[in-house]
Amino acid sequence: MSPFRWLASSYVLGLGVAVGITLALSAWLFEGAERDQRVQYERRLAQVEANSLAGALASAAPERIAGVLQAWQARHPAHESAILVGGMELLGSTKPEDAAPRRLGREEKPIFDLANLLRAARETNIGEGVVRKKLVNFDGSVKGAYVVTVPYLANNEFAGVLQVRIRQVADKRSAPSSLGGVPLWLPALLVAVALGALFRARSDLRLDLPRLLLFAAFLALTLAYQYQRMAAYDASDLDGARQVANAVREAVLSYGLPPEGAAAPSPWDTDTYLRPLGVVLGDGTLNESAHGALFAEKTRFFERSLWAAEVLGLVMLLAFLFGYMRRLGATLREHADAYAYVTPAMLGMLVLVFFPFLYGITLAFTDTTLFNESLPFAERWIGWDNFVTILGDFNLYERGPEGLIWNYQNFYWTLMVTIVWTLTNVAIGVSLGFILALILNTEDLKGKAIYRVILILPWAIPNYITALVWRGMFHPQFGVINQVLQMFGMAPVAWFDGVVSSFLTGLTTNGWLSFPFMMVVILGALQSIPKDMYEAAEVEGATRWQRLRHITLPLLRPTLIPAIVLSVVWTFNMFNIIFLVSGGEPAGANEILITKAYKIAFENYQYAYAAAYSTVIFVILLVYGVFQTRVTKATESF
Amino acid sequence: MKSLVTGLLTSLALSMGMLSTAAQAEQLNVWHAYRGGEKAAFEKVVKMYEAKQAGKGVTVNTLAIPYDAYADKISAAVPRGKGPDVFIYAQDRLGGWVESGKTVEPIDFFIDKPTREQFRPGMVEAMTYKGSVFGLPINYKSTTLIYNKALVKAPPKTTTELVKLAKQLTQKDSGRYGLAYWYTNFYFHSALMNAFGGKVFDASGKMVLNSKESIAAINQMIKWYKKDGIMPPEPSEALVASLFNEGKAAMVFNGPWFIGEISPKIDFGLAMLPIVDEAGKKPMRPWLTIEGAYVSAASKQKELAYDFAKFLASEEAGLVLALEGRQLHTNKRIYTDKRVIGDRILKAFHDQLSNAEPMPNRAEMTMVWSPATTAMNKITKGSSTPEAAIKEASATIQDSINALRKAR
Repeated sequence: MSPFRWLASSYVLGLGVAVGITLALSAWLFEGAERDQRVQYERRLAQVEANSLAGALASAAPERIAGVLQAWQARHPAHESAILVGGMELLGSTKPEDAAPRRLGREEKPIFDLANLLRAARETNIGEGVVRKKLVNFDGSVKGAYVVTVPYLANNEFAGVLQVRIRQVADKRSAPSSLGGVPLWLPALLVAVALGALFRARSDLRLDLPRLLLFAAFLALTLAYQYQRMAAYDASDLDGARQVANAVREAVLSYGLPPEGAAAPSPWDTDTYLRPLGVVLGDGTLNESAHGALFAEKTRFFERSLWAAEVLGLVMLLAFLFGYMRRLGATLREHADAYAYVTPAMLGMLVLVFFPFLYGITLAFTDTTLFNESLPFAERWIGWDNFVTILGDFNLYERGPEGLIWNYQNFYWTLMVTIVWTLTNVAIGVSLGFILALILNTEDLKGKAIYRVILILPWAIPNYITALVWRGMFHPQFGVINQVLQMFGMAPVAWFDGVVSSFLTGLTTNGWLSFPFMMVVILGALQSIPKDMYEAAEVEGATRWQRLRHITLPLLRPTLIPAIVLSVVWTFNMFNIIFLVSGGEPAGANEILITKAYKIAFENYQYAYAAAYSTVIFVILLVYGVFQTRVTKATESF
Repeated sequence: MKSLVTGLLTSLALSMGMLSTAAQAEQLNVWHAYRGGEKAAFEKVVKMYEAKQAGKGVTVNTLAIPYDAYADKISAAVPRGKGPDVFIYAQDRLGGWVESGKTVEPIDFFIDKPTREQFRPGMVEAMTYKGSVFGLPINYKSTTLIYNKALVKAPPKTTTELVKLAKQLTQKDSGRYGLAYWYTNFYFHSALMNAFGGKVFDASGKMVLNSKESIAAINQMIKWYKKDGIMPPEPSEALVASLFNEGKAAMVFNGPWFIGEISPKIDFGLAMLPIVDEAGKKPMRPWLTIEGAYVSAASKQKELAYDFAKFLASEEAGLVLALEGRQLHTNKRIYTDKRVIGDRILKAFHDQLSNAEPMPNRAEMTMVWSPATTAMNKITKGSSTPEAAIKEASATIQDSINALRKAR
């Protein structure tokens, strides 16, 4: 191919699209990160102001409060106002019309509640010995100013809150970037993909020189861009830290050194849990290595997102270079009608199935619980930890004085119970269904219709009701099963106390519920087997067993296998029966994976851990499904 | 003809106009889970409130939500700015709602001294989480001693008397027992645990179930069951009810929900739970479940919502809720009314309240039930000692709590 021709081919277009996507995504990520950075530093500056002022107030006598607040306001034009609230009282205010101290008015309920919130947060952190509640509040709803509220301590006791309002300085750095934000790159991406689908590329999988060159070009272009912007981002971060250090120095000038001294981390430059960040020291010197470490930690998630943008571009490039785009375009054009018809259904699926599904999987990578669900997503992200905890816990049993003690809370125990539960249930359902179908298939059976209706009944009754009825029947004192056992002189069984007996209760109930389905399926298949095959076999002298073994069973296989596949998936996730009959008793030994996930989510409130559990269940069923499809394909050829 | 049409149109427009002004008047949405008599009494109280507010045109829309879907509906709707202005629920979910945020509005700012003081002791505490009040208590439930008058002439005042009397009434081979209650269920056990001073959480929120006090309480229960032999094995709600109704259990510890289950053939009496001599003459103190009216954090009219909650907690509403809804209202002033205090059932639970303790309202409490009940079962079946079982349960609970209280 001449150099000119391949320049005009979809190779170049592919490069353009891939670079475009990666650059646009990176630009978008950088813009977000830079916006966050600005907000973070403004907040950190505001926090230095609030913390140092709160520190000064803590050591000031009540009559000096107004003076300290006014001196603070006069120090800088951006210092808009400050109020000090303790209980129902307004203790101090920079607004002359406030006439502090006075009782709070009706419209001041929010600050009163906020004070209670911070007090409770402080007590929680101290009481539990764990830092988990934020002690600083930023009011994001105020435009043009930063409103920061911090606890006000007197004699190291919570005495109220200090709220400062700092005017937002017009930002010089907020010039629009070269590539624009989301609204620009999203349609560009769609147009590029559509164009790419129209073009043609050779579909072979050789990695020849032109393709290699394109890869190199892609990496050079995108990495250079990311590197250059990262350097700017880094520099402006250091600039922000210097401003914070300046603010600390100014505060030292007004209030003197903090009690921790000049060399200790400044108690004024803190995170939202009031823990010193250690970047700025007491006297306002910047610790650059600590700043570097904090920066690296802060940007880890961001850097990963940049790599993800890189990978996305690469995938796009591959799709163009190796002709997948062309094939996609051809399919879309060829079956345009079909795609048009399924679009409404796909949209419904997107909202009702795929979104919750993806949300669940994303949730599995966080540490979301009832207590922290209101935190921003990035703060909850923990990566693979949940999966490591679930799959990496091999504490399955321990050796006690009386032999092995199984750990029923372990994932692998629950998995084993689930597998045994599924296998036994399907075996019972299929064999019972098969026997009953054979009986019903007898040619001159009288009252066949009545039998059939009666046998289908267990399936027709809602399984909640059946489960509760069986639970009642297994009751140790009043249950009919124990009453019958006693009638025959046997000892009653405490069904839900033993691991095996409790398992049997679920098995019996589910067996009762699952045989009608199998029976109906098998009966249908039996009736479609031509009678002349049996007649021919009979003429040849085949016994009943031989007829069953060599005619009935092989001809049932195509019907039976899909029914078993379905039944396995249903039974694996048969929540109702386990939850309602045995409830996983004793001590959670008979829990199956899905009921366990439910308990983790709604009894222990560990939402993310439960999501990870469900994701593991999904993967198990996915592997099973793929495996089963192969087996089914093998039988189709029969 | 034309004038008729115009007239119709005008009247339609007028009525539309009236409708829209009615819509502008204040509407309050209230969710509850009441049925039957409780619902009728509640709706009567709502009508009373509307009548009182007639001049201001306040309408209250009530919505009864099925109980099992209720709490989840609140957790899903309110933080997203939807749902009711006021909702009524027991205190057990309060901690979780406060911790996850944006669900219940703190009302310390609204609540004044007379309102706070109109309640019986322990009521406001149940609605208080980490020092802030989040709801007004409306009614309470606790267990008390219920006895068969045909078998018990005078109810026992102390555990020594209880054991003595129960031993006389117990005939194991004919299935008769002096005392029956669901003692393996941690909720019913709590009365003994509180008598010995055992606790699930201390004031700072630390889980302190594994203490010598809780073990002493379990030993007391085991003594009744094994040594004194006055209680039936493998108790359950249904067993206690059937024994009592067949006249085979002389005394039971149970709550107001049990009254409706008592067979009309049984002449029953109510008395306070006995004083535990083994616990230094401290009385048994059952856990209180207290229903409160909460102002939703998403409400646009919090003051009005609080005003309605305040009315529900008032003497006027309390009388209707107690006499017609058969609820144990929290307002102490209604117990001076002869119709209330003359009702032996209301009076009995009112008496028991002086020795009762609100059940913890921490979210962590849901993690306690299942391991604690497992431990109680192990202990009564003799497969574990109280010390070992409580230690194990406590470790399981602590693990779940630590997972929740993770440091940031």
